[in-house]
Amino acid sequence: MNTQPWRKYQCVLCGEIYDEELGVPEFDIAPGTRWEDVRDDWLCMACGAPKSEYVLLED
Amino acid sequence: MSTAPTIPVDLIAPAFNPATFGIGKREVIDGIFARLRKDYPLAIAEVPGYDPHWIVTKYDDIREISRQDHLFHSADRSKTLASQLAEQLMRSYTGGLPTIFKTLVHMDDPEHAEHRAVTQPHFYPQAVAKLEPQIRETARRYIDAFLAKGQGADFATELAFRYPAEVVLTLIGVPKEDHAKMLDLTHWLFTYADPDLCRPGANITDPQEIIKTWDIVYSEFKNYYESMIRDRQQCPVNDLTSVIANGKIGGCPMNERNMISYLVIASTAGHDTTSATTAMGMWTLAENPEIFRKVKDNPSLIPGFVEETIRWTSPVQQFVRSATEDYVLRGQQIRKGDLLYLSYISGNRDEEAFPDPFRFDPERSPNRHVGFGYGPHICLGQHLARLEMKILWEELLPRLASVQMAAPGKFAESEFVCGPKYVPINYTLA
Repeated sequence: MNTQPWRKYQCVLCGEIYDEELGVPEFDIAPGTRWEDVRDDWLCMACGAPKSEYVLLED
Repeated sequence: MSTAPTIPVDLIAPAFNPATFGIGKREVIDGIFARLRKDYPLAIAEVPGYDPHWIVTKYDDIREISRQDHLFHSADRSKTLASQLAEQLMRSYTGGLPTIFKTLVHMDDPEHAEHRAVTQPHFYPQAVAKLEPQIRETARRYIDAFLAKGQGADFATELAFRYPAEVVLTLIGVPKEDHAKMLDLTHWLFTYADPDLCRPGANITDPQEIIKTWDIVYSEFKNYYESMIRDRQQCPVNDLTSVIANGKIGGCPMNERNMISYLVIASTAGHDTTSATTAMGMWTLAENPEIFRKVKDNPSLIPGFVEETIRWTSPVQQFVRSATEDYVLRGQQIRKGDLLYLSYISGNRDEEAFPDPFRFDPERSPNRHVGFGYGPHICLGQHLARLEMKILWEELLPRLASVQMAAPGKFAESEFVCGPKYVPINYTLA
């Protein structure tokens, strides 16, 4: 079981944030889904940017 | 193109007329695009005086085009619907360039990404969140002033137009005494054909009027910002003008046209769209007491209410792209050079994307509308806009027990950016 703190990743193109703790239930990504477990063809929900355009959001 | 489906002229031509958008709450426009989605989801409009345009009505198609900037350019032709005369006039005014302005909206990569990067970090959610205290103070002040005007006051002009303008213009560094002028220039730019909001003296029956007015607006902004730019380059302060004035593109300062245009879009689109959405939000609450009651009694619904007002209003109604190569979309052959009119108001009413799209639902989920666009050109200020509106409703709704329209509202007449221009309300205080 992964006990690391929840991380947030941000789309650099539009600023949309993926929060591991929250997931995206409206698109069947359950709360607690780690970023590496989000499918590789994930697109930013706001602007459609690929997963490669996301960066780890530092506190 | 001769084998591509063509929309009957009498069906599509009204959508090329600004006045059609001012009828009621755009029900005529809604009807046109509902018919197009059903019978002509991707077809060509051949309206006299205009080059042929593919009319893109479907949500999925709008996103497919918007996500591929390299295939569907923003810089090569007019970015908004423009007649052949208007396009000729733009080239005449600019010495051959396709547009008066060179804002982010009018750029393609790499130029677009390079310029957007100059201010993007200041509009990220974590950056705008730091502005919450001052935005909340601004909202409270405007609410106090509006409620002091009493029954029948116009929510659009007294609050919805002014509050977002003050927020963004303060960020830019524009002194309060100049905000009214900026508001006028914004209306001249976006609602050039509206009889109440157009530039004084403008001939709104002249099809070339939009270009004349835009050229005047550019000159007004250039004259206004020139000295501020020089000042901020010498002595930067904590405002967006300083960021833009000192922004580097490939290690060099922006050229003048790009810099002025950047400030133009921040000073106009930075608030007008939020104003439209805010005004439409109040109009909706005033006509739907059950929605008012639901959101007032459940403040946790406010973010969803804000999102739905954006979908509902779709203040940026259309943008035009030009194809850089042949492309097949929805079984139709798009040719290199073709123009595509993306109808965001249609996308946001697409029956296949939004169940019961003509029902306003603050709990709609998912609600991934295209009110902010899509792809690399997605609205730079989207997070600021959401925060402003969330704060406004958080502050205003607890102070009202009920609200109703005091008289029929009015929509601005514009085929480009618009929303309500008159929302008089009566209310009871909580």
